[in-house]
Amino acid sequence: MSNASRALQRQLGSALRRSLSIVLSIAASMVVGSLIMLWYKQNPLEIYGLLLKGAVGTQRSVFISLQRATPLIFTAIASTIALRAGVFNIGTEGQFFIGAIMGTYVGYAFKLPMVIHLPLALLVGFLSGAAWAFVPAIMRQKLKVSEIITTIMTNYIATFLISYLTNYPMRASPVTDQTPPVEPTARLAQFVELNKNLGRATQAHVGIFVALAIVVLVYFVFKRTRLGYEWRMVGTSSSFSEFGGIKLDRAFISAMLVSGGIAGLGGAVEILGVWRTYKNLFASGFGFRGLLAALLGGQTVIGSTVAALFYGSMEAGALGVDWAAGVPRQLIDILVGLVIFFMAAEGMWAFVQRIKWVRAPGTERRTTKDLEV
Amino acid sequence: MTTAVEMKGIRKVFPGVVANDNVDLSVEQGEIHAIVGENGAGKTTLMNILYGLYRADAGTITVRGQPAHITKNADAIRLGIGMVHQSFKLVPSFTVAENITLGAERRNLIFVDRNAVRQSVQQISSRFGLKVDPDARVRDLPVGVQQRVEILKTLYRNADILILDEPTAVLTPQETRELFGVIRSLVAGGKTVIFITHKLREVMEISDRVTVMRDGKVVGTKHTKDTSAVEIARMMVGREVLLRVKKAPAKPGQVVLRLEGLKVRDDRNLMAVRGVDLEVRAGEILGIAGVEGNGQRELVDAVVGLRPVVAGHVYINEKDVTAAPVRERRESGLACVPEDRYVRGLALPATVEENLIVNCYFKPPMSGGALLNLGTIAEHAKEAITTFGVRTVSKDVPAYTLSGGNLQKVVLARELSAEPDLFIAAQPTRGLDVGSIEFVHQRIVDARDQGAAVLLVSAELEEIMSLSDRIAVIYEGRIVGKLEAREATEEGLGLWMAGITDEHKGGHKIDV
Repeated sequence: MSNASRALQRQLGSALRRSLSIVLSIAASMVVGSLIMLWYKQNPLEIYGLLLKGAVGTQRSVFISLQRATPLIFTAIASTIALRAGVFNIGTEGQFFIGAIMGTYVGYAFKLPMVIHLPLALLVGFLSGAAWAFVPAIMRQKLKVSEIITTIMTNYIATFLISYLTNYPMRASPVTDQTPPVEPTARLAQFVELNKNLGRATQAHVGIFVALAIVVLVYFVFKRTRLGYEWRMVGTSSSFSEFGGIKLDRAFISAMLVSGGIAGLGGAVEILGVWRTYKNLFASGFGFRGLLAALLGGQTVIGSTVAALFYGSMEAGALGVDWAAGVPRQLIDILVGLVIFFMAAEGMWAFVQRIKWVRAPGTERRTTKDLEV
Repeated sequence: MTTAVEMKGIRKVFPGVVANDNVDLSVEQGEIHAIVGENGAGKTTLMNILYGLYRADAGTITVRGQPAHITKNADAIRLGIGMVHQSFKLVPSFTVAENITLGAERRNLIFVDRNAVRQSVQQISSRFGLKVDPDARVRDLPVGVQQRVEILKTLYRNADILILDEPTAVLTPQETRELFGVIRSLVAGGKTVIFITHKLREVMEISDRVTVMRDGKVVGTKHTKDTSAVEIARMMVGREVLLRVKKAPAKPGQVVLRLEGLKVRDDRNLMAVRGVDLEVRAGEILGIAGVEGNGQRELVDAVVGLRPVVAGHVYINEKDVTAAPVRERRESGLACVPEDRYVRGLALPATVEENLIVNCYFKPPMSGGALLNLGTIAEHAKEAITTFGVRTVSKDVPAYTLSGGNLQKVVLARELSAEPDLFIAAQPTRGLDVGSIEFVHQRIVDARDQGAAVLLVSAELEEIMSLSDRIAVIYEGRIVGKLEAREATEEGLGLWMAGITDEHKGGHKIDV
């Protein structure tokens, strides 16, 4: 009994330590950031004040934060699913953009009533993201090719494929490499389009609800379904799972496909809600920031969502400082980067510990085995 | 008699565990001193402190009356302390002489003086009756001889206090006997031997005195001739223990597991199981005896479905499952306590509950359609914890918070609650303490009495002999002998385990 109650205490202690370390990493980033700002003869207090105000200070900044966070929630959840199931999907970036371009295509190429058109565009976004993850998933399970390599490579393929598509077959404008606009029937409404007092002068859109629905759904899948149990178990110990009768191929591949699918859905949502056309290279880094958010959030569904929201609001805050103080945007990006950097260092630590668990069960905190060397 | 080693008030804390708590140990010059205790009792930790591999947090060490400051391994070696670890530290491709002298070679100017090396090795080995060929490659030697090389290594470094950490764990009974001969000649030659073990019989046979440890503390030190195995077991566990399982005669039914000409490769792609034919009937325990590494692991893997079968067939309840996935075999009535408990048997970071349902989460009543029935699962977990007496704070704590014995109970609870037709128990009590062993044995016999066919694989001859109804001996991937358990003797099985079969056909005639 005492053994296990100590374990409980340890868990409580580790939660406390974790919160403390998050506070500390934010503090550390602010110390370093302040030094940099002093060097550039800026007032750190003022800048951090503006950053906070730009993130959550006004109704408008809250909406900008939401808009920025929306795609990151998708990629963060996508990464979380993969990490929890023990696969490294570094390809959410590519899956996101493939979902985006395919969603765009469905959005402009068809004329359908909204009840069909919008869900269809989202579905195609999901399916094409999943399809993009399919080859690395199969190669991992059947040919034992590291999915880290293949997913990174498929990111490049996605980038260049989209470059080709927007320059040639899908190009609509003679001036820019950009597709035709998405039909109104396939658009996710921006809040301001619904009510002009809501999120005025922002592009925040109802896609955030799609994102939150995915969060709830994935949370439910992890907690309450057979598939979720299989993902958790193969991620925790594939040897144990195999011995127990779980089909490893099915669990790993399905995790990869759903991960890719959610990233692709995120891409479609971003286009249909914000851009409404695909402009080549309109943005980048959604996949990597999502992965970071998943690590920051301790690879839990809720944690990653919170981290994605945090990340989004930091970006919004950076915009705010840019407009208000005329501080160079690059400097603000450094500040935000520092916050994330210090928090990620903390998140990486948790991740490394997890890896140790998975790779070498029985090496830590076992009461008997490690003492009987 | 003078005191060879005196350890006083030794304390060593690992994160979350007090491994040694105010431990006193006194070893006389020229005695064989056994240290016994359950796993995690702190025996090896104590010896690692003496050997300079760990530093004690508190306490003093005296060697031959002189205070000793052992802060590193080299200090201990300089003081004439040598240790033979459970897993040997030898270079397989080197010769015996090279292994013995490695790191302490005698040189002539630049090069290693091979002749001097060979001579000193031969001198030591003849003095203590440790026969080895100095020019043989270690990889070609049997385990028992490799162990001798380890002992020679310590003697070459002038050790006169030898620590042997569970030296018999990997030996056949014959090799054990030879080892005991070596130990006696060492002591006759003036050496002191500290002998770590958890096998009570060996304590009684070889030691002069015995120190019993429990939970990091010394329970007591006794002269072996003044005590008994039963008393030592009670000291180790802290309560009365049944050393032998009570069981009624078997009532074998129809064949549940049938292996035909089974051939399986190991991880290095070598043929590890080379044509095994076996039948296990409902209501009987077939014990497979053998020194580890003779194909047992691969055999079990192939039956469970974790390793491809090269040739031959596996039938469960007369259904050919040779190529079936694990789940199909489990659904055909298979359950298994695997040999590597912490790798396959359990997912340590997962909760106790999650560990308990991996073989049944996918079917009613644990789940309906794609959804898990969390309520039913919780009930199932609580019931399993109660029925099998798993000591845990709740079903929702990670498995790693449980002790080794309780973890094995979790595995047993999961596997047996499936009410299997075929129950495989591979090294089911390895690393467990006496109390847990008793429990596991009782459960295995219970499973048999409820009509399961039990395949017991164990390197512990005592376990095989006390549980089995029939015994098969495996050697280099083949079954070299089968017989009724009541006809088996340790000597006879030991010879088979060592691969000696020619002179002794027919098994039951080999009483020595």
